[in-house]
Parts: sequence; structure tokens; C-alpha cells
Amino acid sequence: MSNISSSVEQPSVAAPSLRWRELWLKEDWWAIWLGLGIVVIAYGFFANGSSIRWIAVTPAKWSTFDQLGAHFAANWVRYVAQFAAWLAIFSLALTALGHKARAFVPAFIFLYILSVGIFALGQWDKASTYNLEPPLMALAIGLILSNVIGLPRWLDAGFRVEFYIKTGIVLLGATLPFTLIIWAGPVAILQASIVSIITFLVIYFVGVKLGLDKRLAATLGAGGAVCGVSAAIAISGAVGGKKDDAPIAISIVIFWAIVMIFVLPFAAQYLHLPAGVGGAWIGTSEFADAAGFAAAQTYGNIAASGAVSGTSEQAVVAYTLIKVVGRDVWIGIWAFVLAIVATTQWERTETGRKPEAAEIWWRFPKFVIGFLVASAIITLVTASYSLADFNKSVVPVLVAPIKDLRTWAFVFCFLSIGLTTRFRDLAGAGTRPFLAFSAGAVVNVIIGFILSAVVFATHWENLLK
Amino acid sequence: MANVRAQGRCGSCAHFRNDPAFLETVFKGLTSMSSGYGSTGGNDGICVLHDRHLSARASCAKYTAVLFQPIGVAPVNQGLKSSADRAIERALME
Repeated sequence: MSNISSSVEQPSVAAPSLRWRELWLKEDWWAIWLGLGIVVIAYGFFANGSSIRWIAVTPAKWSTFDQLGAHFAANWVRYVAQFAAWLAIFSLALTALGHKARAFVPAFIFLYILSVGIFALGQWDKASTYNLEPPLMALAIGLILSNVIGLPRWLDAGFRVEFYIKTGIVLLGATLPFTLIIWAGPVAILQASIVSIITFLVIYFVGVKLGLDKRLAATLGAGGAVCGVSAAIAISGAVGGKKDDAPIAISIVIFWAIVMIFVLPFAAQYLHLPAGVGGAWIGTSEFADAAGFAAAQTYGNIAASGAVSGTSEQAVVAYTLIKVVGRDVWIGIWAFVLAIVATTQWERTETGRKPEAAEIWWRFPKFVIGFLVASAIITLVTASYSLADFNKSVVPVLVAPIKDLRTWAFVFCFLSIGLTTRFRDLAGAGTRPFLAFSAGAVVNVIIGFILSAVVFATHWENLLK
Repeated sequence: MANVRAQGRCGSCAHFRNDPAFLETVFKGLTSMSSGYGSTGGNDGICVLHDRHLSARASCAKYTAVLFQPIGVAPVNQGLKSSADRAIERALME
């Protein structure tokens, strides 16, 4: 570290910046363009007395293979059209981001076919009896394919976890009233902030106590406290971590995130938590957005089966409010504050860098803007409807098809998590980083439970009612 | 590596790489639950000289300018790299 000498004089060569090019060179913006594009098209059809329902086809509930076969025989053209539409818009976006279409196309064909199978299996009327929750099945099948059977690396071109989840979150915004975000957002922010700050401090101080470098401890802390891998990467760069810091944090976050996907929904079910409360707990205690959505969607399905009170949507919405509104949006502030600490306390001159407040915006997860705008658009254009008319005329024609497309995006994401997680590829984390992170994870789960199921229980239980 | 004619920032330094595809290769597991193409990573990248994960706005005395290095797309500075740099990168990729 010492060979990065002090050179904080005026730079004579400016660092290139993305500026406006970010609009087509960052996947957050492409998630916005695709998500809002779908919302606008859906509204266009709705305003003209039609609907995008035809292309938003999903497998229907079935109990015999004959029923399943009949569904696909009757609707295969719709599936082909939907596949072509997804392929076209994702290819456009990923090509603009610098990916190769010739690698993406065959990979996405594979992903889509597998997704249809997972989706259909989840619609089996006995699926919940055997705990065949689609998110968990997608994850498990993906993990088996990538770790036991093995898939060619080039197929990863189609397994864009983060892109699919961001697109899904923007679409999710269109299914939420903006007033709900305004009403529930402050509680989500308060709860998430309490947990994030405590979790970060626990991981950081345990890490430092165990002898970890402060930058690694901060990277681990952000990974556990804010938004998982994305936060770890953001903080590692902001504090100027060693090249190996981020991979260590990534390995531990992935390990704990996958454990939590399988543990939290069933722990919540065991504790008979209402859907909204369970979703809030998952939002507080999961680390990565994509992994958390898998857990929240699973708990939503458990609620839909009648095993716990509440609705599927309550679990997903409570999770989204806590995770996206309560935690994700603050990553820029975490990065800015920690960059100040790093450059003024930990290594005053080594990287010759003065933190800038603009960093809060540069690192802002822009897809959240799409989530909010999508919500505002649908809320505004349907403001004149009474609740009864909204449920009768708007939901089936406008909101439900968007929700179905959102579910597809989530299935693509859940499968991609498993398909891209190769345990043998992950960096060895070491005992001390693992212990530090685990201490924070345990505290996070306990405090998250207390806040979700005790302090704010009524709030989350009554969400969407 | 002795070229220190300008105290430029890492984003325009020959030792700095922040193209997303490269970051996704270096940071094993990144694509499982995140991405090299997201906003939260800013324009951060790897200094292959110091093995540090840095902001594009950092700087140091070892700065070596490249004529043009657009952020967010494949790097164009390969031809300007020394054999030592390439060796470091090969080690990183392995």
C-alpha cells in the first residue's frame, strides 16, 4: 500500500466520466427504459380499450398432465411471441452495454425454456404440498446445473441476474400505488436504517477486533448492512480496498444470502408471521436484492397457499419497501461517508483523492427511479377510478399483465442466480472475515425480527389492506 | 512505469482498468448477485500496478497517461501497456 505515494496536487489530466453516456452504458438505466417502455405500451393498449394480456401469458393452474398439455397446445403462439419480445428487448439492451448478441441469444433460449418448466411446475396444484416453490426450485435447479452437471461458461451471457431483477423491480413499481410508497416508505426507511447501521457497526468492529484491515472490514460491513454484493463492490472502490477485498466479501455474501433464501421463509412460516411481517423481516435480513426477492416470493407463495395469514403481494411489497426504498437508495451516502473516513483517517494521502458529494448521485441505484416513476404513472392515469372500478376494470387489463411480466423477469433472475453461482470459483474468504460477517448476520436477523414482528408488526401486517 | 509527467486521475491511467467485463472476471462471483454494469459501482476499477480497487478519480505518482480510455466500454489502452503490466493482468485473470 505504501507504494501509492502522496500525490494530491492538482490533477492536470481529468478522469474521463460517463456523464450522459451512463444512460446507455449502465444496466440500471436500461432496466428503466425496458420497464417503463413496457408500462407505457401497456397503458397505450389499455387507453385504446385493449390489453397486453395476450403476450403476458403464464402457465395456468393444473392438476393433470393433460391439462398442462392442453394449455401449451392452446397458447404456444403466445409463448413464442413473448419469448421473441423478451429476446428482442434484452438483446437490444445488452448489446448496447457491450455484450455479444451471438452469445446471449442461445443462452436466453435455454433460460426461457427452463423458466417455462419452472413456472409450470410451480402452477401444479400439489406444488405447495411438496414445498415446490418456484423461486427455490429455480435456485436449486440452477445450482445443480452449474455445480454438479456443469454448463459452458459462454452461456453466462444470458444469465444476467442483476439486469433481470432490476427490470422486474421497475415493473413491480407499476403494480404499487404511489400513495402506498409515500405512506409506508418512512417506516421502511426507519426500520432499515436502524438495522443497517447496527449491522455495519457490528461487522466492522468485530472485523477490526479480529485484526482485519479497516477497508476490508468496511467492505464486509456494507455487504451485510446495505445491499449485499453491490454494496461491497461500491464500498471497496470508495475506500480504495485491496483487489482481493471485494471477492472475499462477495463469497461470504453469496454464502449467507443463499442460506437465508432457504431459511428465512420457513422460519417465518414456523413462527406464523403474517405475510407482510415476514416480507419485512426478509427485507431487513437478506443481503442481496435478487436473493431476497426469491425468499420474499417464496413466503408470498406460502401465504397464498393459506399456511400463514395475508397475501402473496403483501410479502413482496413489504420486502421491496424495506430493501429497495429503505436500504438500497442509501448506498451512495454510505460510500461518500466511508470515502471521507478512508481518505482522512485511514490513509490520508495514498490515493490522492478528495471525496465528492456528487458520489451520492453517481452511485445511486438508478433503477429505483424507474420503480418510483412506474408507480407514479399508473397511479396518475388511474386516479379517476373508484376502488371498485379499479379492481374491476384496471387490474385485469392493465395491472395484472404487468405483474405477470414482472413474475417472468423474477423467474429469469432466480434461475440465473443458481446458474451463475459456482461454489468452486468463489474466493476463499478466510475464517476472520467469515466470523466478522456472521456476527453481523446473526445480529441483523435478531434485530430485524424484533422490528418487523414486534415494533412495527401492525404496520406490516396491515400493508395493502 | 516511470512516466509521471502528469498527475492525472486513475480513470485516464494506463494501469487502471474499469471495463465491466474485466471487473466481472476479476471479482469472482460478482455476476451471481450483482453486476459490473450497475450504477452503484460508479466508475471504479482495478489499478493493476498496485492491486487496488479504486475510484476513477484517485491518483498517484505512478500515473501513466493514455490518450483515450472510454469508461464503460472495452479498453483501448492494451497497446500502451508494458510487459510488466500485462504480466500483472495475466496473474489477475488466472
